[in-house]
Amino acid sequence: MKSFKKYWAIFQITLINSLAYPGELIGRSLMILPFMWIFYQLWKVTYEASGSEIINGLTLANILWYLMLAETIELGRPPLARTISENVKDGSIAYLLNKPYDFLLYQFSTVMGETIFRAVMNAIFGGALVMWLVGPPEHPAGFLIALPAILGAWILHFCVAVMIGLLAFVAEDVSAFMWIYQKLAFIFGGMLIPLDFYPAWLQVLARALPFSSITYGPARLFVTPTAELFISVMTMQMLWIVILTLLLTFAYRRGVAHLTVNGG
Amino acid sequence: MKELKFLLAVWKANLLSAMEYRAAFLSQVIGMMVNNFIYFAIWIIFFQRFQDVRGWGINDMYLTFGVLASSFGLVSLLFGNAFNLSDIISKGRLDYYLSFPRPVLLHAVSSRMIASGMGDFTYGFVSYALSGYFSLDGLARFILATLLAAVVFAAFLILIQSLAFWLGIMSNLSALALNALLTFGIYPITLFDNYAKLILFTIIPAALMGAVPAEFIRTFTWQSLAELLVGAIVFLFIAISVFRLGLRRYESGSAIQVEV
Repeated sequence: MKSFKKYWAIFQITLINSLAYPGELIGRSLMILPFMWIFYQLWKVTYEASGSEIINGLTLANILWYLMLAETIELGRPPLARTISENVKDGSIAYLLNKPYDFLLYQFSTVMGETIFRAVMNAIFGGALVMWLVGPPEHPAGFLIALPAILGAWILHFCVAVMIGLLAFVAEDVSAFMWIYQKLAFIFGGMLIPLDFYPAWLQVLARALPFSSITYGPARLFVTPTAELFISVMTMQMLWIVILTLLLTFAYRRGVAHLTVNGG
Repeated sequence: MKELKFLLAVWKANLLSAMEYRAAFLSQVIGMMVNNFIYFAIWIIFFQRFQDVRGWGINDMYLTFGVLASSFGLVSLLFGNAFNLSDIISKGRLDYYLSFPRPVLLHAVSSRMIASGMGDFTYGFVSYALSGYFSLDGLARFILATLLAAVVFAAFLILIQSLAFWLGIMSNLSALALNALLTFGIYPITLFDNYAKLILFTIIPAALMGAVPAEFIRTFTWQSLAELLVGAIVFLFIAISVFRLGLRRYESGSAIQVEV
């Protein structure tokens, strides 16, 4: 319990810190607007050309709200992999390791503190624009049902981002890994096109990978909040959280064992 | 001529500096090419499902993405500091460049090379080769269009980032403008109505980086060449003028800076 309080305090401090520069927070959140506007143009034309109001079980409004939540999850995330790789490269990780807290839990608490308001602001701006373009979501309560899946998505992303950051122990530069992870998340997570539009074989592959639990699962749950989908998304997320947490713990222990700090 | 020799010397020094960390350089180049390929796969999936967007097909996407990637890569390689000019201005780091008997803007923007730009630049040619529009004269047009689109892109970056002379720290605004330019540049121009197209030729010149160069590469027309040339000259003129105007307002922070 005492241990939980420690990380809760770290989370609260970061959360308050993220509000210290409201202008920057708002400015960064405006990034979602051009994305949502262009998605609207693309899908509006696509639906007009198909002559149908529903494609693969989704309406134009469904797609836009799906993409809004997917972008909110994506744009709300701080650049954790870069921060950790810089900590490893410049040796400042040593200052974090000798403190009376677990490095991974500390990082998780700070990342969550940074993420909350970023995501909220993105959801507000993105949601306002989508509301203006296509009207309200079909199931507003879907947002509440999707909340546990959004949290699960952040945990999964955290595990992958930290593992990429820790690659700095063995690689000179981790940017390439970050780009490739981001683009894999785009394609297998259904960031620009929901997985429902993919060829059947690619859908099977994408749904089996963790990327779909990071983006597609929560976003699809938001637009079609059924009990069946909720169970399926949460089961898949739990499975990947267990696998990636184990992998992360292993990678972290190996990385720290290799750490050499010169001077101080 | 004197400035060209100076630029060549700066680029050579940048390249030697980047090659000092050869593994990092190569990983960034290859990583960026893989990154572009995976991103483009999304468009392949989209066009397999929907065939075309108001007459715009996957071949047009290959072409547009190719010229945009190559011009983006060229600016990253040769004028890497154009991406963080606002930071240089707001943190008083222009002092360093002002102390040299060389054009301040040219020196500042060319002093950094972004290694991943080589990946973008190369990938653009691969994308063009896959577009189905490849021909020898088309390749010559692709190179010319890439150069002109790169001028528009560099000018746009300088113009937006020079606003830091008046606005101070503006990393969010410049990131927003850059994202908007790249996003609108990649998407099919046929999506937009006339008002949106007007914006894409002026305030956010995405059309001059994607759709117009692509049109010029597909078929030579004097009109598309003129649009590209006029766009490049006008944007460059405005960018340099705004930078010079802003430079008059620049106040040194008297900070001791070390350029590495």
